[in-house]
Amino acid sequence: MASFILRRAEPKDVSDILRLIKELAKFEEMEEKVVLTEKELLEDGFGDHPFYHCLVAEVPKEKSSDEYTVIGFAMYYYTYDPWIGKLLYLEDFFVMQEFRGLGIGSEILRRLSETAVKTRCSSMHFIVAENNTKSIEFYKRRGAADLSSEEGWRLFEIEKQDLLKMTSK
Amino acid sequence: MNFTIRAATREDCRDISRMIMELAVYVKRPDQVKISHEELERDGFCQNPFFECLVAEVPEEHKSEEGFTVVGYALYFYTYSTWKGPTVYLEDLYVMPEFRGNGIGSSLLSKVAEVAKKKQCVRLQLSLFDWNTPARDFYAAKGAQDLTVTEGWHFIRFDGQSLDNLANEAHSSSAEA
Repeated sequence: MASFILRRAEPKDVSDILRLIKELAKFEEMEEKVVLTEKELLEDGFGDHPFYHCLVAEVPKEKSSDEYTVIGFAMYYYTYDPWIGKLLYLEDFFVMQEFRGLGIGSEILRRLSETAVKTRCSSMHFIVAENNTKSIEFYKRRGAADLSSEEGWRLFEIEKQDLLKMTSK
Repeated sequence: MNFTIRAATREDCRDISRMIMELAVYVKRPDQVKISHEELERDGFCQNPFFECLVAEVPEEHKSEEGFTVVGYALYFYTYSTWKGPTVYLEDLYVMPEFRGNGIGSSLLSKVAEVAKKKQCVRLQLSLFDWNTPARDFYAAKGAQDLTVTEGWHFIRFDGQSLDNLANEAHSSSAEA
């Protein structure tokens, strides 16, 4: 049995958030791609123009085997669909391995959807790697649609060097 | 052909709304457009705008058959990568068919790239339907990678009833497992 709370992240949480970002990246076998620093996370999330919002899941100190009490997080922001308006976009969502199976992930997802409805968002979107079948099943069980399979949506990216090529005219 | 690219103003929202519908018709989903220029004015020109928009304008003498001088737009917003930092997400890029082939699309995209550079964004993302070959060719020529193909990313959505159902199950902040 474990009790936990969900709360909004505060500036003091950035080092835990970065730790969890790296753990999630490790799970996706992309750990070396995380170049973000605590300083950037702090400026980008808690400065004048926040680029993201974050929820953290915390357990009481005595329930944690090591010194960490922040054991899960969800990072999201608001995007815009010119057809339907505001959307909530879920960027990262992760619960530490040893704290899974306790309903923390489900509760985070419910809290996010409550936030989406309260802030007049028409839907909640995110991306998932197609080989991450466990996550895809988790979302589909809760009524999510896979737009890539069902409607043919593909994600494209133009990286910095190509962006710069377009600006040097 | 002479044209200018500039930041959209509140007054441009009717033109933008018109072109949003044209783009929706092109991607075969006109019935899915639920918002009008009113929501665009509210959401794009408030204190903390949910999007930014550039428009392409031609002089009077080059106006469209129906008399429009605002002939293209690019609508985008900022997102965040936990690996790399700030990102520009290009939601819509559209040029009216009779004005294509004049470099307007490329200019709109270049201007968005400039915005990305100014805001120190590390990349630009967008999504396309797999059947939209002209668009895929356009972006491929600018260096775009199809991450759905190369990395297997899929778009997932909760909306309507499934979103409501999920929200209605929310407990209080503390839960015993």
